[in-house]
Amino acid sequence: MNKILLIIKREYLTRVRKKTFVISTLLFPLLYLGLIFGTGYIAAKSGSNLRIAIIDSSGYFDKGKIERENLQDSSTVLSLVSLPADSLRTNFSTMGYDGYIVIPAKVDWETGIKKLPFHTSRTLSLDGAVPLKRKLNNIWNTVKNEKLGIDETKKKVLEESEISVETENVNDTTANSGTASAMGIIAAILIYFILMIYGSQVMMGVMEEKTTRIAEVIISSVKPFQLMLGKIIGIGLVALTQVLLWITFIFVIYNVTKATGAASSMSGMIGGIQKVFTSTNISLITCCFVFYLIGGFFFYASMFAAIGSAVNEDMREAQSLSFPLMMPIIFSIVTMQVVIKDPTSALSVWGSIIPFTSPIYMMARIPFGVPGTVPWWQLGLSMLSLIGGFIFTTWFAGKIYRTGILMYGKKPSWKEMMKWAFRKN
Amino acid sequence: MPILELHHLRKYFATQKAVDNISLNIEQGQIFGLLGPNGAGKTTLIRMITGIFYPDEGEIIFDGKKFDPINDIRKIGYMPEERGLYKKMKIGEQTEYLAQLKGLKKSDATKKIKEWFVKFDMQTWWNKKVEDLSKGMQQKLQFVTTVLHEPKLIILDEPFSGLDPVNTNLIKDEIYSLAQKGATIIFSTHRMEQVEEICDHIALVNKGQKILDGTVKQVKQEYKENLFKVNFTDKITPEHLAIHLFEVKEKKETEVVIKVDPGYSNNDVLQYFITKGLRIESFNEILPSLNDIFIRLVKGTPTARQFQEIKA
Repeated sequence: MNKILLIIKREYLTRVRKKTFVISTLLFPLLYLGLIFGTGYIAAKSGSNLRIAIIDSSGYFDKGKIERENLQDSSTVLSLVSLPADSLRTNFSTMGYDGYIVIPAKVDWETGIKKLPFHTSRTLSLDGAVPLKRKLNNIWNTVKNEKLGIDETKKKVLEESEISVETENVNDTTANSGTASAMGIIAAILIYFILMIYGSQVMMGVMEEKTTRIAEVIISSVKPFQLMLGKIIGIGLVALTQVLLWITFIFVIYNVTKATGAASSMSGMIGGIQKVFTSTNISLITCCFVFYLIGGFFFYASMFAAIGSAVNEDMREAQSLSFPLMMPIIFSIVTMQVVIKDPTSALSVWGSIIPFTSPIYMMARIPFGVPGTVPWWQLGLSMLSLIGGFIFTTWFAGKIYRTGILMYGKKPSWKEMMKWAFRKN
Repeated sequence: MPILELHHLRKYFATQKAVDNISLNIEQGQIFGLLGPNGAGKTTLIRMITGIFYPDEGEIIFDGKKFDPINDIRKIGYMPEERGLYKKMKIGEQTEYLAQLKGLKKSDATKKIKEWFVKFDMQTWWNKKVEDLSKGMQQKLQFVTTVLHEPKLIILDEPFSGLDPVNTNLIKDEIYSLAQKGATIIFSTHRMEQVEEICDHIALVNKGQKILDGTVKQVKQEYKENLFKVNFTDKITPEHLAIHLFEVKEKKETEVVIKVDPGYSNNDVLQYFITKGLRIESFNEILPSLNDIFIRLVKGTPTARQFQEIKA
């Protein structure tokens, strides 16, 4: 036992003292925020800036309405021209336009225009014509409002009378579906990253011991299983440290900004965090998160260790053997959206009980409410099967590890590794 | 009392009888040479002695009791042939870590490491990393980590590979002094001249079986061929040598190598030369070198061990 503690201590300290740990701990949240805001920003800005000529034969689209729209949104500029359509067809690009639209003469404001062809020489993306469509419809609405005699006040009344629906679970009023999905996504993605990054760290660590040939020196002092377990626990604690640091950051930022009265630029995010704290069962979610983080890590890490022990210096061998192990992790993160859309479907329920997918699936479901969405028996069963699962994988991997760590030479096949696992001592 | 007794040890792998019924006794304070060609089963045998492998059959008695890997391991120091260190770890810390794994307290470990570092002139290494060391320097460090916890039994697998003559002598002297202080040393190698120089007792293993066991002197006696080298002051002529007492193996102007017929003693031979009026300068027995014995015994076995199907 004492020896495992020594190993854990070494594994933990050598990693936490590294510069890369400090840097990644600080940088990851920034990158993560950058990713969220960055994609939002890019998505907002990605509409093409088009210059479009409009030939209006109907008389509804006058210069004043078009100019007003251009003032509100300058990303796509419409300009009214009075040229014959034929000459515009040949000349629009030399005149500096990206395309043109012809409004036909016979248009009835009551029935409207179903479809207008946009003549252009460019191939636009799926969303490329959205700003154009929005502008044309805004103008067309103004036209209709005028015809119907709706003034600004009436218009305001019309637009503000929308009813929105918010689901409220009768069993658990704290579970808000919007916040829940956001929390589920964040928790699941974090677990995904930890499993992938720290799982491969375990594999690399074992490979390092094997390729530097220190493995045999160590296992003449400790049992191979102790060495493997010490390494997994040590690296697991590194992962836990990192995640707890991140959670602390969030608490600190939250409290500091709340105390200083919250800078207005941050208020949206802070408001979001505040909502998380008040509208969900945050302590249960945090506890479950830590449990599934550790459980999932143990479940996978020992198998990563077994693979690390089986291969030699060649990284490609390690990649090809670890790929089947990464598949269920990748599968669960890819299909997580389905779980968040319907957290009570059969896939969600069983996926969150089977230990291969449960760490990610269950964390995606729990924010929707326990016991509202996730009954206690499901949570209990899922936790038990994860505990059982990691005891089994650790035992199983230990047997492969014991043989693999001393084997040099060719890469073993899966069949040979199975033989190692089921062989007597 | 022997410190280590092996009784009918067996270890079979899927395609190899790695160790096939080996029994050995090693006395305390001995420097024991474990010899054998590549793939003979030496490493497997050592791994059973160090508790890394469990024997399929047989028994290991260590220090008078049945070998208990968990507790006895701290009385053993093992330097494997495939050895290494954590490259990125500081040398002082790493040595402390390995010593603690052997059951030393940290303060004791630090004290002992400092002593050894002074002895081997390594004081400036403490805060360096292993990757800064040459292979020979790493070897010295590995030797220190092997013997630091004052084991009763020290197992060294090819301890001199990659060392220069100065450092080889340094380690060799250390091995002698450890043996004098009562430690038992098992020394595994295929460098026969080192075995002859260092070991008291040897065992030769081939194809998983022990084919020779005894003191170096005994073994040489056992495999001697009654060869003698005689030097004369006078020139020798063919007539001098035409006699049934011996067979001439080599002949130079004033020197012959003869194989004495088993029916006669050395005195008979000397008597004969004296009666012939030859003045003898020297008369020496030629004992076979361990290298010769090794090659003779192992010859005939294929240079690479063949795989075989084992039905356990």
